[in-house]
Amino acid sequence: MEDRLILSKEHLKSFLRKISKRHELIAPVKNSSGDTLLEAIPSLDEVTLDLKSKPVMPAKNFFLPRSEVLFKYQRKGKQYSFDEVLDDTPRILFGLRSCDLWGILFLDMIFQENFKDRYYLNRRINTVLINIGCNEPMENCFCRSTKSGPFLTHGYDLQLTDLGDKFFVEIGRPRGRELVEEWNYFFSPATKKDREHQYEMILEAESRFHQIVDMNTAISRFMNDEIDERIWDELGNRCQNCGGCAYVCPTCYCFNIVDMPLSENAGERKRIHDSCTFTGFTRLAGGYNPRHEKKRRIRRRFYHKLYYENKKHRRPSCVGCGRCVEICFGRVDMINFIKMVCERGERSLRESSLRLGEILIEAGLLNREELKNALERQASTGESLGTQLIKEGLITREGVARALGYQLKIPENAGTGGSDGK
Amino acid sequence: MHRVLTTCCFCACGCNLYLEVDDGKLVGVIPSREHPVSRGNLCIKGWNSFEFVLHKDRLRFPLIRKNGRLEKAQWSEALDLTAAKLTQIKDKYGPDALGILSSAKCTNEENYLLMKFARAVLKTNNVDHCARLCHSSSVIGLNHAFGSGAMTNSITELAGAELILVTGSNTTEQHPQIARFIFDALERGAKLIVIDPRRIQLSRFAHVYLQPRLGTDVIWLKGMMKIIFEEKLYDDSFIRMRTENFDAFSKDLENFDLEYVEKVCGIPLEGLRRAARLYASVKRAMIIYSMGITQHISGTDNVESIANLAMLTGHVEQEFTGVGPLRGQNNVQGACDMGALPGTLSGYQDVADNDVRKKFKNLWKTELPASPGLTSIEMFDGKRIHGMFIMGENPAMSHPDINKIRAVLKEMEFLVVSDIFLTETAEYADVVLPAASFAEKDGTFTSTERRIQRVRMAIPPVGSSRPDWQIVCELSKRMNYPMEYDSPAEIMEEIALLTPIYGGVFYNRLEDEWGLFWPCPDKEHPGTPFLHKGSFARGKGHFECIDYRPPAELPDSEYPFYLTTGRMYQHWLTGSMSMRIITLVREMPEGIVEINPADAKSLGVESGEPVRVISRRGTVKVKAHITDDVPKKSVFMPFHFKETPANILTSTAFDPRAKIPEFKVCAVRIEKVQ
Ligand code: SF4
Ligand code: SF4
Ligand code: SF4
Repeated sequence: MEDRLILSKEHLKSFLRKISKRHELIAPVKNSSGDTLLEAIPSLDEVTLDLKSKPVMPAKNFFLPRSEVLFKYQRKGKQYSFDEVLDDTPRILFGLRSCDLWGILFLDMIFQENFKDRYYLNRRINTVLINIGCNEPMENCFCRSTKSGPFLTHGYDLQLTDLGDKFFVEIGRPRGRELVEEWNYFFSPATKKDREHQYEMILEAESRFHQIVDMNTAISRFMNDEIDERIWDELGNRCQNCGGCAYVCPTCYCFNIVDMPLSENAGERKRIHDSCTFTGFTRLAGGYNPRHEKKRRIRRRFYHKLYYENKKHRRPSCVGCGRCVEICFGRVDMINFIKMVCERGERSLRESSLRLGEILIEAGLLNREELKNALERQASTGESLGTQLIKEGLITREGVARALGYQLKIPENAGTGGSDGK
Repeated sequence: MHRVLTTCCFCACGCNLYLEVDDGKLVGVIPSREHPVSRGNLCIKGWNSFEFVLHKDRLRFPLIRKNGRLEKAQWSEALDLTAAKLTQIKDKYGPDALGILSSAKCTNEENYLLMKFARAVLKTNNVDHCARLCHSSSVIGLNHAFGSGAMTNSITELAGAELILVTGSNTTEQHPQIARFIFDALERGAKLIVIDPRRIQLSRFAHVYLQPRLGTDVIWLKGMMKIIFEEKLYDDSFIRMRTENFDAFSKDLENFDLEYVEKVCGIPLEGLRRAARLYASVKRAMIIYSMGITQHISGTDNVESIANLAMLTGHVEQEFTGVGPLRGQNNVQGACDMGALPGTLSGYQDVADNDVRKKFKNLWKTELPASPGLTSIEMFDGKRIHGMFIMGENPAMSHPDINKIRAVLKEMEFLVVSDIFLTETAEYADVVLPAASFAEKDGTFTSTERRIQRVRMAIPPVGSSRPDWQIVCELSKRMNYPMEYDSPAEIMEEIALLTPIYGGVFYNRLEDEWGLFWPCPDKEHPGTPFLHKGSFARGKGHFECIDYRPPAELPDSEYPFYLTTGRMYQHWLTGSMSMRIITLVREMPEGIVEINPADAKSLGVESGEPVRVISRRGTVKVKAHITDDVPKKSVFMPFHFKETPANILTSTAFDPRAKIPEFKVCAVRIEKVQ
């Protein structure tokens, strides 16, 4: 069977009806209050599918529920008995946004890298993922900047593109192929024109983003330890500790494990979503100190999402869904944060460059003309002035260091050429 | 799994959320994104509101005290006994020996029924609820000034204000969603004035922040008005056309000496001048206040002063202006609207008014008592009340000087409590009736912005518990006054008939557009997001001349510290729900007392060390938390924690008009625990 197919819109419901016979079908539904939620669909005729907007909560809740019972325990005399609760319902998640699907792929990695999480994986291996590309990115979406949308190149079982009166269907993983092969009579091969049409859709969608954020600069600021400390104070003051940003994030996976007694002799071990913005998240005992820690908690959140994950998995764990942007009480969100970091970084970079330039001129290592030119070039490279001058061979590390009277924080590999001073 | 849309059971922001139900159990919460207040997010309490519902401590069957112990009983036994005892006390001492506490946690329909039960069945007006403790002074003060005691404008309007004055409200902690709108307004360039004795989070964003001494609000408010008056920044035409008594009021202002501002409040006059100019110079200014204003013996004075300020500058009667008393509980607005108050029937209709009583009598088909009843403070004087029915309230924790309250509860001839947990109050009861929580019943809540919204049943009542409205019907039937309603919707139909401000409120109308704002007098009426458009509800706005009265108990050499009490973001009132939510307990496991670093130093106390806080009424041992958010010589304690109940210490002095206790000021001594 071809990898690219066409499903006419009038066949969508019939196809979904077929595939929901052996699977629980989960799809985005717009309810009468106007909220779009991913819902288990008992009957397709009673709901309004919403394939245009982003559900309030990400798909992660189907694999890592907000609260779940891991096992039940019972005590008879001195004997304990345990009863593990595993969910292996076969499911199809249909109509996912690309960012949400990408989020699941990220969680797949997390939940099996050190330790295979049975509860998660059991659900996951029984699930088929079908996403639909976003022709119209929404107000706060920035998945283009995080390279996790609006269309995916891999990772899905099936990916749909809305071509007006029909869907362009791409087959990804084998599970998708199986489905399509089983119900092949709904599909016809895509023509060259369809392919071109789809390609145009992708290009157009990419040009329609309202939000473009500079992830790379933000990440490099983290790497180089160049984040203006005041940002944490500011954000810490604005955070209201709701936990929402973690709850709605497709890639936040922290949980808390608790035992809930149900009676004297029985109970449940549960896990519930947790948030790194909570005071109690890392506090072990005693000390309550909300204000003091809030900025540190916010710092940890962004460090984790942009730096640690990036270091470990070569990609930040933000998939650009924009949910935290929509919901934060105090605009302590990813877009705002990255903007702050980029803008502040530039300003402080410039300020420190000027300061360094003055020192070097005073030490006779540089003249004003050279400084001016160097600063101009620096604007395009974004490097710190010292590193830039060394790379260009205008001065040496030692020269700078001597001029400043202490060892500068300049990477060793930032060029060694040039004579000793000038 | 399925989801049920409902209204949050904690604060009066009125967020709408979906309860996630799986296999008959609540497993999660999803905020509504389209709801104008929740906007896709909840505070930490809302996000975790599903957890306490199925807690193992839930009351699952009725209890009756036998041989001094509460023992499991049948519903019929418990109800029969309650009905018999209430009747007996009524016959023995007269109806006014009975007291009813209704609940701001319960639905409008339940509050309505319980006040009907008090008046039509028990024949007493002794019915009240916790609004007495939080905003009774707002109801009286704003009613006196404007003709209506509620928030004049809606929450979302905050985002469009040019200036917001926040006083006596720790908005980020107590009304997080409202704070979110304040942040939105700031983002759009609005100015923020914060005036609060505690340095709250919002003060960090304020353009003017002033830290007056506790209990001196009348002075700085008057000062602000004097400045506006002197500098001719007032709205002359508004005053002339819309208000009365301005001449007397302006004379009073003329006689006021601005020196008092620095002397009494301890704030720089220049700062107040800046605040006054800012407030008076914009078109769209809103005032937000809460219990820092109301819980004083001068609570009503404070509220009236705020109303004066708004009228002086014409900042009422328009969109994006007005006065916003932020109500605390999910349905404290509704409980007041429903007439769970000793002086008014539903819709603030005066119980002493013959025509009003006649209207209710025609529908209820029974005589009603005419003289206003006792407030929830007066009911505990240990003299007049012999039997009580308390629905979902916990005076043994929430009232001032709880040692005294507990003694009264203990002596009470007959006490019946309906609640979802065995609260500190229920422990004194003779009969305990297990009630259904918000997730197990239908009904409506009215949020702080007067928005009437649906509460929907997500799961059946836990154990054999029942919704309070059914409990009231059962009791009433046993006392020869059958109340027969199939559903809360049917109760609302009766409310609409008798209550002009709810006249057009029907369940089918509450399904769309996120509820209705009262006043909504008839079926065609779209509801009223902001009040007093064109003219005040009472006709002309009334300027009241107000003199300063200091708090009842001031620090002295023996008790040198001010104690002020309040709430924390992570917990809810007396903790019976929030202390059963794991995430919340982890955030804030125990009580604290906030002490200024300078005081801590002279006391030799480190953060986290226990201290004894001692007032004339009692002693509490509690951990010190050292922070300069509280000024010197002042300490702050939250009242949520049963191990460290701040209300052992608080004073019973109350506002003479509103009868609201002065929770915000009393005098204490701090001792280091050796
Ligand atoms: S959503 Fe915003 S306010 Fe809530 S915890 Fe996250 S950063 Fe803080
Ligand atoms: S950090 Fe924010 S934008 Fe990024 S994936 Fe999480 S919720 Fe979405
Ligand atoms: S407690 Fe208040 S702010 Fe928090 S979710 Fe409930 S209604 Fe919203």
